[in-house]
Amino acid sequence: MARIQLLPDHLVSQIAAGEVVERPASVVKELVENSLDAGAREIAVELEVGGKRRIRISDDGSGMGKEDALLAFDQHATSKIRDFEDLQRVATLGFRGEALASIAAVARVELLTAEAPGEGWRVRIEGSRVRSVEPASRARGTTLEIASLFFNVPARRKFLKQPRTELRRCVEVVQGYCLACPDITFRLSHEGRSIIDATATSADGEGLRERIRQLFGDQLADALVELPAGGAAGESIRGFVGKRETAKGRRLFIFVNGRLIRDRQVLATYYRAVRDEWKHDEYPSLFLFLGVPPEDLDVNVHPQKSEVRFRDASFVHRVSRVLREGLVSARGEEAAPLREAWGAAERPLAWSGLGAVSEPSIHETAAAFDTRDAGADAQSGVWDWRRDGRQKIAEAAYDRASPSEVPLSRGSRDRAVRILGQYKGAILLLETPQGLLLMDQHAAHERVLYEKLARAMEAEEPKVQRLLVPQLLELSPSERLQLDSLVESLQPMGLQLERLSGGDLALVGVPAVLSDQQALSLVLELAASEEQSTDPAALKRQILESVAADRACKAAIKIHHALPMAQMEQLVASLFACDDPYSCPHGRPTLLEMSDAELERRFGRR
Amino acid sequence: MEIVVSREELVAELALLQGIVERRATIPVLSHLLFQAEGERLSLAATDLDVSLSTGCGAEVLRPGQLAVQAKKFTEIVRALGADEVRLTLAEGNNLAIESGRSRFRIRGLEAESFPTLPKVESSSELEFPLATLRQMIGKVLFAISSEESRFQLNGALFKATDSTLELVATDGYRLARVETDFSGAGAEGLAQGVLVPRKALQEILRFSGEEPVRFRRNEHHLSFRIGDRELISRILEGTFPDYERVIARDHEKKPVLSREALQLAVRRVSLLSGERARGVLLRFEADLLTISAANPDLGEAEEQVVCRYDGEPVQIGLNPDYIGHFLGAIESNEVRLELKDAESQCVGFPIEDPEGEAGDRYLCVIMPMHV
Ligand SMILES: Nc1ncnc2c1ncn2[C@@H]1O[C@H](COP(=O)(O)OP(=O)(O)OP(=O)(O)O)[C@@H](O)[C@H]1O
Ligand SMILES: [Mg+2]
Repeated sequence: MARIQLLPDHLVSQIAAGEVVERPASVVKELVENSLDAGAREIAVELEVGGKRRIRISDDGSGMGKEDALLAFDQHATSKIRDFEDLQRVATLGFRGEALASIAAVARVELLTAEAPGEGWRVRIEGSRVRSVEPASRARGTTLEIASLFFNVPARRKFLKQPRTELRRCVEVVQGYCLACPDITFRLSHEGRSIIDATATSADGEGLRERIRQLFGDQLADALVELPAGGAAGESIRGFVGKRETAKGRRLFIFVNGRLIRDRQVLATYYRAVRDEWKHDEYPSLFLFLGVPPEDLDVNVHPQKSEVRFRDASFVHRVSRVLREGLVSARGEEAAPLREAWGAAERPLAWSGLGAVSEPSIHETAAAFDTRDAGADAQSGVWDWRRDGRQKIAEAAYDRASPSEVPLSRGSRDRAVRILGQYKGAILLLETPQGLLLMDQHAAHERVLYEKLARAMEAEEPKVQRLLVPQLLELSPSERLQLDSLVESLQPMGLQLERLSGGDLALVGVPAVLSDQQALSLVLELAASEEQSTDPAALKRQILESVAADRACKAAIKIHHALPMAQMEQLVASLFACDDPYSCPHGRPTLLEMSDAELERRFGRR
Repeated sequence: MEIVVSREELVAELALLQGIVERRATIPVLSHLLFQAEGERLSLAATDLDVSLSTGCGAEVLRPGQLAVQAKKFTEIVRALGADEVRLTLAEGNNLAIESGRSRFRIRGLEAESFPTLPKVESSSELEFPLATLRQMIGKVLFAISSEESRFQLNGALFKATDSTLELVATDGYRLARVETDFSGAGAEGLAQGVLVPRKALQEILRFSGEEPVRFRRNEHHLSFRIGDRELISRILEGTFPDYERVIARDHEKKPVLSREALQLAVRRVSLLSGERARGVLLRFEADLLTISAANPDLGEAEEQVVCRYDGEPVQIGLNPDYIGHFLGAIESNEVRLELKDAESQCVGFPIEDPEGEAGDRYLCVIMPMHV
């Protein structure tokens, strides 16, 4: 018997389904998009057990006739594109004709649809097999019910998280479309409890602000500044950027042609704009809506369409300009007549060689910005303030790839190290029996301070400072779900949250080592982070670490700072006494090694 | 520009202007003073774009003119001069010649045009109050202003007036200080809702002295405090101040009375062992006795007893010793009264004025408890 076999059909479609359908939230996403493509004005989502047991979505869109209702479940059956030309300029959210087929392969599906009242059809499908087709009555529109997701793929079913987590993800998806389409009514409920109830506003800027208000509350909605109009012909760049009080929590939303995406390039552009314009390491809320002609956008990069590629590279520059203008006005300075007499502040000069001192964040050129790292942030959807300690020592000082990270083991720690000196006020050069060690003084000092602080903080019972006025937390539906599940676990750490009527939460006490604003940021961060453990010990570690790392970073010696020999010795000794001397608390390396072997090889002596 | 001024008069004004000039100005001209000589007067101005001060002194103006001059150096030079008179001459290239006795300096300045235009606060109504009163009030709340930059609406104090009272309130979210005084002024409408005055402006008012009253005006974005020929203009802080009336507890029944000084000294001593990052001391009141204690796992423990007048149920509360110290430091009365409920509820402190003096309840300081 041949070893290579053709896979049976149902297996093929289950594998394909895996790319589109990962969890209840991906089903919700596909179905909401279909409803939007069908011109719905009102979309209702009902969930049971986090969507694992049942997802029902009904719309008042175009509906389907009998033939289409059946065809819709065929692979690559779509009414939206016909040929390759069309694919180049997809204007609808769907275009592959894959979603319903994929969903039908892994769930029990019931479709009830009508193009006009009285002309409806009911179709039942189970694991890709049509079970029944019968006439039924319904107002114009479509209802799809997806039950027992992955009933026939136990491996996938096991992979699903707790209902609470799956629910939060579904809520996040619907929230995204709520923002993208403020002129459409969205409702989402879980086992009869309403979670999102957003009546249509309007498609313009004010409509969007009202939609943000419905989801996030007044505080955020009132602290947003509309971005100035921008973009070349055929493009649109619009949205809101927050004033400085919004720089807590991580509310960064980027939409491209109506779809919420996680685009590392745009995100990195935003981070840089904030650092340049605000000289700040906290990032205000962003609701950015980009529109480009469909032919200028490659959405086919990722099966879930969550990444895009812009064919016109200069588009991102135009986005950057709009963001910067928006940030300048969000800083709120033009209101004062005083400022008018004033032109733009001079930019401090970039680092320009030995001994010069410069403002840190300015001289990172676009080209030097490492997009791989920005990508890591973008993927977790979370901006990492920790990256801010990062400065270039000098542009293109050496080939990045060559010096390898030190494979030092603890055992080799007490080997003789001789300090050769300090390179550009930033890097200590150390001679070891094995080769040359480069030590980042800021990262090394951060590590030393961090371990000291974390130890001290762990030893202490948390003192809790009560707040004069409870700080009401304005949270989006998904953030609220997440934080509500953490209330009890946060209590022993001194983060005291109170549940108010109507599901709201308020901060009433904070660990005395933190200011109320630091505590608030921490809480909002926990509310927005992707995966959050509820285990108190893990949470405690996480909080301690973020506080200690933050303080260590602020207190650590900066680069471009000359150190006397005694201090260098102290730093080297303390670093090697650390539990983990090889990276700073944020995971960047503290040491790089050029081994003798490497040096010899490069000098052609080997 | 060529003028002759009295060194002493100039130094007095420079001292006031120093409080306004940004020490770490990113915009160069903000570290400068604007000089304008005209008529019989040298006008001087400084601004950090939020708060500005314009003042001046009499001068013999030989040639009118204007220039922006680096504040710190100029002040140092004028302070150090020996003679009574100073001659200032604008030389070409925006240089300023300073001559006094046998000393000669030339310092580089900037075009006067590069100095920001100061806002004007025109208003039909004006309020007047004694400088001493205002200074006293500021001294009682300044410490409670938040220095957390991100809570900008708390980076100042709420200044409020009715037909009969003047009120100043500050809070940083952990404590709140409020002071009120009698005041008979018509035209207080502009202050009925209260305005938020930035900390820097309040600090500047503390630098003023003299018998002249403060004349106050406001418009939509700015406040103006005029004292004689000097005018302090401040941007109004935007944002909403907490609804403090609702926050202050009025029904606490445990009301120990203590010597202000004894409490202050005891808290200071005990707090030496209250921990470095998170300071907290425990106050325990029993019949006529207060026990203050602190413990620190690394350092050790401290305890001190203070007599007080108290006949209620025993009650205990953790407080930040710095907050107690700030409150006690802001008042002068011999005795204070604390109003308490339990370890979870706020502590409200009042000075007890002399029986002959004014009613004491017009100043209070709320301190939120800390679990220690
Ligand atoms: N809610 C709906 N109302 C009306 N027609 C619908 C609805 N949902 C699906 N359809 C029809 O079914 C077809 C198949 O939908 P499906 O989601 O599988 O593919 P698609 O949307 O065309 O592409 P993609 O796989 O990229 O989502 C659609 O092209 C559309 O014609
Ligand atoms: Mg689709």
